[in-house]
Order: sequence, then structure tokens, then C-alpha cells
Amino acid sequence: MSQNPNEEKIREHTFDGIQEFDKSLPNWWLFTLYATIVFSIAYWVYYQKAGIGLDQEEELKAAMAEIDENVARAKAEAGVLDDDTFAVMAKDQGIVSAGELIYTQNCSACHGANREGGIGLALNDAEWKHGSNPLAIKKIVDEGVATAGMPPWGPVLGDEKVNQVVAFLVSKQVK
Amino acid sequence: MSDQKRVIEYDDQTVRMFMIASIFWGIVGMLVGVIVAAQLNFHILNFDTSWLTFGRLRPLHTNAVIFAFVGNMMFAGVYHSTQRLVKARLGSDLLSKVHFWGWQLIIVSAAITLPLGYTRGKEYAELIWPINIAVALIWVVFGINFFLTLAKRNEKSLYVAIWFYIATIITVAMLYIVNHLSIPTGLLHSYPIFGGVQDALVQWWYGHNAVAFFLTTPILGIMYYYMPKAADRPVYSYRLSVVHFWSLVFIYIWAGPHHLLYTALPGWLQQLGMIFSLMLWAPSWGGMLNGLLTLRGAWDKLRTDPVLKFFAAGVTFYGMATFEGPLLSIRSVNALAHYTDWIIGHVHAGTLGWNGFMAAGMFYFLAPRLWKTKLYSVPMANMHFWLGLVGILLYVASMWVSGITQGLMLNNADEQGILAYPNFLETLQSIRPLMLTRVVGGGIYLAGFILMAYNIWKTVQSGEAVNGVCEVSAADEDAKKMGLIGAVTHPAFLYSAGLVVFSCIWLFADGFLELIGMGATIVTVMSCIVHFTRSGDSFAHWYDKLLENSMPFTVLVLISAATGGVVQIVPLVNIDKASVAEDKMQKVYTPLELAGRDIYVSEGCYNCHSQQIRPFVAEVKRYGDYSRLGESIYDHPYQWGSKRTGPDLARLGDKYPDAWHYDHMLDPRQTSPGSNMPNYPWLFEKFTDYGSLPSKINAQKMLGVPFPDWSPAEIDSAAKAQAKAIQKKLESQGKEVDADTEIVALIAYLQQLGKSIDLEHEVATN
Repeated sequence: MSQNPNEEKIREHTFDGIQEFDKSLPNWWLFTLYATIVFSIAYWVYYQKAGIGLDQEEELKAAMAEIDENVARAKAEAGVLDDDTFAVMAKDQGIVSAGELIYTQNCSACHGANREGGIGLALNDAEWKHGSNPLAIKKIVDEGVATAGMPPWGPVLGDEKVNQVVAFLVSKQVK
Repeated sequence: MSDQKRVIEYDDQTVRMFMIASIFWGIVGMLVGVIVAAQLNFHILNFDTSWLTFGRLRPLHTNAVIFAFVGNMMFAGVYHSTQRLVKARLGSDLLSKVHFWGWQLIIVSAAITLPLGYTRGKEYAELIWPINIAVALIWVVFGINFFLTLAKRNEKSLYVAIWFYIATIITVAMLYIVNHLSIPTGLLHSYPIFGGVQDALVQWWYGHNAVAFFLTTPILGIMYYYMPKAADRPVYSYRLSVVHFWSLVFIYIWAGPHHLLYTALPGWLQQLGMIFSLMLWAPSWGGMLNGLLTLRGAWDKLRTDPVLKFFAAGVTFYGMATFEGPLLSIRSVNALAHYTDWIIGHVHAGTLGWNGFMAAGMFYFLAPRLWKTKLYSVPMANMHFWLGLVGILLYVASMWVSGITQGLMLNNADEQGILAYPNFLETLQSIRPLMLTRVVGGGIYLAGFILMAYNIWKTVQSGEAVNGVCEVSAADEDAKKMGLIGAVTHPAFLYSAGLVVFSCIWLFADGFLELIGMGATIVTVMSCIVHFTRSGDSFAHWYDKLLENSMPFTVLVLISAATGGVVQIVPLVNIDKASVAEDKMQKVYTPLELAGRDIYVSEGCYNCHSQQIRPFVAEVKRYGDYSRLGESIYDHPYQWGSKRTGPDLARLGDKYPDAWHYDHMLDPRQTSPGSNMPNYPWLFEKFTDYGSLPSKINAQKMLGVPFPDWSPAEIDSAAKAQAKAIQKKLESQGKEVDADTEIVALIAYLQQLGKSIDLEHEVATN
């Protein structure tokens, strides 16, 4: 099968005047083909035969475990968060305006642009159905109220942003 | 008779008609494409009108450009080149007419039914069942006509273009029929017989290979005829043709599951999809090489001949897209790109670049010849080329940037699992300029295409239709035929078949069997190499002989193309639904929820919303626990989706109150500022179709969905009672609505999404 690649060997048959060279396959092309086949077998063995590679559920489990660890560590480092801390935060203009932005983006669709309520309850009056102290509000934002159709925002926003939006609400609270 | 010469007149009228139809439908299909792209930027362009809404028009765009534009173009090219390659007139004038008019009728009926919301709810397989039957029949007419032409050929051997045409006809028939198997519930509606994960697998076995065998193989055949013709150069390498043809036909079929990476599809199928996509890279590039290297010695003609210009660029885009495809099927790349605009860009590099440019090259080649004149304006054709090129580059580049940007934003979660962009709309806003660039790029491409239509129209006017002729002498019949037995008893076939069987045993079996499979695979490869080195000529002779006998050739193509589907789909069709459910199992729909689901399907919500949460931190945080295989097991059709223009809906149920959905469907911007979703006011006026529910539930029961034994009256009263309850709830939240309107049924459906039964008390994550 050895053939000089420069040899212009042409097949004798023509089709409607179309001729065909019979040049050998380019080496780099053949290499690409063989390399992908070898890689594929190795990949299959790695995941399916040897069982070294994690499947997608195991990958997620590992990632979630790492996250849980990080969250626990961060909570321990942050110390205790109590109602008084929020009282201080609610006076910090930086935190409150950050909270306001988060409110506009995520909460205003249901609770109204001026917290006047709509699909969700009003937040600009003195009535707080689930408790008016900062930690109670934070709990609602974090975990939601399934029966009322309020989604849990803790997993989505994260602790820092939840605290900011709670500080914003506390700063506007009508006592 | 033996020395007598005969003159054959080709049927070029059919070719001309298909060509004009292709150009006409091309303009329509691309125009709808530009409109839907604009709708994504400006929601008012949906005009609050049901039949002008994105969810209904996007299927019209995809079906029109695939089946109407490329379909008609393919038929023109196949019929024109085949007649000349086998020196025979088309098999039957009657069948040619039936084929042409039947296909146009199918297109017209698709263009009417899709905007009206009659759909099967599966991508590129949306047409309703009566049209499916018509498509299958007309395709068979095409096949018969084609093989009749081969049967009366005056050219013993089959040229490589014909191989690709045979692969197209056989494989598309197989794919189309299996993916369209349905149980009708009425004249305009049916449920696919596959559900959930099975339906997903069959759908992408079809969807991926519609790209392979509808948009690729026929066009490769067309390339093999028109490229050497236009360049007046021999094809670069015959043996490359042989190797890349067979590897392409065998490998392509296996790659479908790469559309389902990181879904609930079993891992082994996902991994097969990925590795076969990688192995597809070289076979695809074989086609590109044979096309481009045919131009050796003719590169100077590119400057003057628009035909070659389009072909060279088209083949280059083919090479680019078939490199990008394997890249995107690498699981970690796919994790970023899936559900984003990157995929849209990838597809359009193939369709605009490869299909569109090959079509243009072929039309510019054909028009002067079919109407015996000169092309009206070469500068205009060059203008078309540059407009087209700029259009594609704007389109594809903006979709790359858009897809990567949005993918990175959506997948961005920090080490505590906190999403950097918790609000989906924020990611939408960031790609708006890119979505607008896409409209501009597509518009420029369309402008170039319209220029071509004008150019060809003027060309046609300046000439007159003539049919090609050729002179043949009666064939000598002394050649010995090879039958199927001869084809499958040669070592070349036995080695290939042995290799596939043994390597499957090696890769899928365990223990002792695995070792046997591995040993047998190695022995087969070694003995094949030895045998081939010693007596390669016998292999070559066998293949030459095979090329003179279309029947065994066709059977071998069918075997190669069917293998992958059999290995992947059969194990999944035979599974027991309850036993594979993992830890979550779908609840059977209530009658009203089923009615709502049919509205969801009919409105084409799946065009923008997935229902499949991947097992990533960012997705689990954003949408909830990842989707399990059991959670969509009763879904006919499955609605996993392939694109997230909006967020995933797999766990939407109870996330918001009913009133939120009421407001959101009436005007999405009321609840989601900045959204590009259309308004759906007609849902608040149209009444839910309760009457068809008994026959729908009956059909689903036949498919194995465990609905209780309800009487039609029970179904009706259950649906109405649930609707009343939702209406009362909406009323208490200040929303006035008639209980029997579609919005109520849709809310019933949306509010149960993701509420599956926990089979184990402990949930794996979260």
C-alpha cells in the first residue's frame, strides 16, 4: 500500500466527465481519527469500566458538601447575628441602599415598588404577619412562605444580600 | 441492439421547479427567521396575536428552512446530478410530479398549521400526524423515483455522490418514521408513543441525524458533483471518499445524546454521545478536505467565478461547524454552552454557511445551464457573496459572545454557593446588544439571498428552458452481478461487522465476556491489518463490484446507519418505567393539568423554557433540586427543552401564587421587569377544550400512563371542579377570570411542575 503522496494516480473511470485522484489519506488526518478513537476508549474505560470518574450526581454531591462546609465556616467566623446588629446595619446608608437595589430587582414585582403590596403583602405598614423583629423578617426572606407562594431567597441571594435587604426593610419600618 | 446509440433527454423541468421552489421558500423561511430574532429584542413585535407569537413562529422558521429551503434544494441537486451521473432520465415522470407537488402541499399545510398552534411539541418534528404521513409517503415516492433511476442507469458504477444520496434516502426514512410514531387523539392532535427519557433519546437521535442526513449527507453528495464540475479538476482522493463516507454513516448515528448531556439521561448514553461526537471530527473533515483540495490547481478561478467562491466558503464553514460540534459535545464545554445562544450560533454556521452557500453556488451553477444562457450579473453574485459572508460572521460571532456571556453568568456561584446573578433577567439584559447584532447579521444575509433571487430571475428571463441530453450505447450485460450474499461474505464486511460486535461486547459486557470481547476485538483488528496488507487488491475489487450493485450497497448503508440507534434506543425502550425512577416519580396529571399541558405544548413554550435542571451547584441553587429521570416519565411528548431564553420551569410549581401567573401571562413585564416574553391575552378569552380530554386520556392510557378508570363525565366534572377552585383562589387575590378559560388550565399545569412523589424520604441534595 506504499504510495508516493506526490504521485498523481488517477482512476480510469470517469462520471459525467468527473475524474478522481486516488491519493493516500493525509497522515495528520489519519492521526486525528486514531487519536479520537484511542481517547474515546480510554474515556469509556475511565468512567464505565474502571469506575474512577465520578458520575454527575456524585460530582454534585461533592460540590455541595464543599459548599456546606464553607457556609458553616463563614457562619462561625461571622459570629452571632442578632436584632441589635440589624438596628446598627439599618443606619448604615451603604448597606441600606444596597438592600434597596436588591429589593427593587427581586421583591418589588410582588410587594410593590414602594412596598405598598400587590401579589405579596404590604411592607410599608405596621402590620407584620410573621413577626416584626429583624430576625423574624430574615427568616421569611431566607425560607419563604410556601403556602403564600413566597419563594425562599436564601439559597438564591446568599446571606450577605439577604441581610442587606432585611436592613433596608428595617430602616423603613413603621413602628 | 448492442451497438445502437440512443439519445436520452433528461427531466430538467423537475429540477427547475425544485430550484425555484427552494429559492422562494428560502426567502420565506429566512424572513420568518429575521422576524423571530427581532421578536426576541422587541416583545411588541409579537403583536399580542396568537399566530404571530414567537413560540409558534420559531417552529415555522426551522421547518421552513430545513424542509422547504434545503429540502427543495436537495431534490433539485439530487435529481439534476443523478441523471447525469448514471446517464438516465428520472425513473418516472409521474412520480417526479407527485414528488414536487406533494412536497409543496406539505409545506403549505405546515405553514398554516404551525402558526395556528397545531404541533406535536418536538423540535423539527412539530408537524401534526396527518402531515407526518404525507411526508413519509412523499419521501417514499422520492426513494422509488431515485432507485428507479438507478435501475435503468447506463453507467455501471455508482459515483460517490450517489452513495451519499442513498444514505440520505434510507436514513431519513428510518429516523423520520420512528420519531413520528404517534397515537392520534383527533384529526389534528396526537401523542408521541415515546415518553420522558425515551422520547428525549429518540428525539435527539432524530434531531441530530436530521442535521446529519438531511442537511449534511445530501449536500456532501452535491459537493462531490458540482465542485469538480465547476473547478474542472479531478476529485482529490477516491480512497478518502470511501473512508470518510463509511465512517461518517456509521458514527453519526451514535452522537445524538450529546444534546442531552447532564440531563437525567443515563450516564452511559451521555458518554457514548460525547465520544462518538469526538470520533466524528475526522470523518467530517474528510469531506471538507476532499472538497477544498479538489480546488488544487484551480484556486485562481475563485477570483472570477462566484460559483466556486460560494463552494469554497461553504465547505470551509462545514469544516468550522464540524470542529465546533465535537468541541461542544465535550461535557465540560457543554456545561457552559448548553441552553445558550452558542448552540444557535453553531447551528447557523452550518445552515447559513454550509447549506446556504452550497445552495447559492449550486443555483448560480444551474441557472445558466438549465435556461441555456449566461448569468445575468456576476458582480451582483459577488455582492451576494460578501453580504452573505458579513451576515454570517455578524450572526455567528454575536451568538458566540452572547452564549458564553450568559452561560458564565448563569453558572457563576461562589464558594458558598451564592449566585453572582440571582436574577435571570439580569443575564438577559447583558446579551441584548448581541441579540440585536444577530438581527442585523441575519437581515444582511437575507438581503444577499434576495439579490440572488433577483439575479436568477433575470437570468431565467434572458434564456429559455432546455433539457440536457446525452448519448448512450446499449450496455453490455456480461458483467457478473454481486448479490447480498456476495457483499456480506467478503472479508471486508466480515471484519467490519466482527469489529463492531466484538467491541460492543468488550465495552458493554462485564467479567469473562468482557475479556472475550477485548481479545476478539484485538484479534480482528490484527488479522484485518495483516489480511489487508497482503491482499488489499481483493478488498478494492470487492468494493468496485459493490459499487455496481445498488441493492447490496443500500443494505450495507442501512446496516451501518441503523447500528448506533439499535444499541442506544432498544435498551431504553424495554425498561420498566417504575424501576428506573430513581428517588422521584412523576404524579399522573389531573384532567385539567393535562389540558393545561397541551396548551403549554401548543403555545411552543419549550422553545424558550427548559424543564430539566442539571446537577450543577448554580442550577440547583437557582431552580431547585436537579431533575430525575422518573419525573417526566409520563410526559408525551417530553418537554425538557433545548434553549433557555427564559428560566427553567422544572420546579416552578408553587414558587409563585396563582395571581403572579395571571399577571405574568397577561403582561410578563408586570412581574418580571425587562422580560422579552410575549403577552398571552388570548389565553384569557379562549375556552379550554374539555371535550377532547376523554380521548386524550384514553390515548395516554394506551401508552402506559396509569390514569384511573374515569368515565368521560367524571373527567369533565373533575376538570371543571379544579378550574372553579383556581378561579375562586384568583378571585380572592383580586383577579377576575372565567373558570373555563385556558389561562386557568395553564395555571393548573404550571403549579404542579416539579411536585413529584419522593420515593425515598431522604432527598439526595439540598
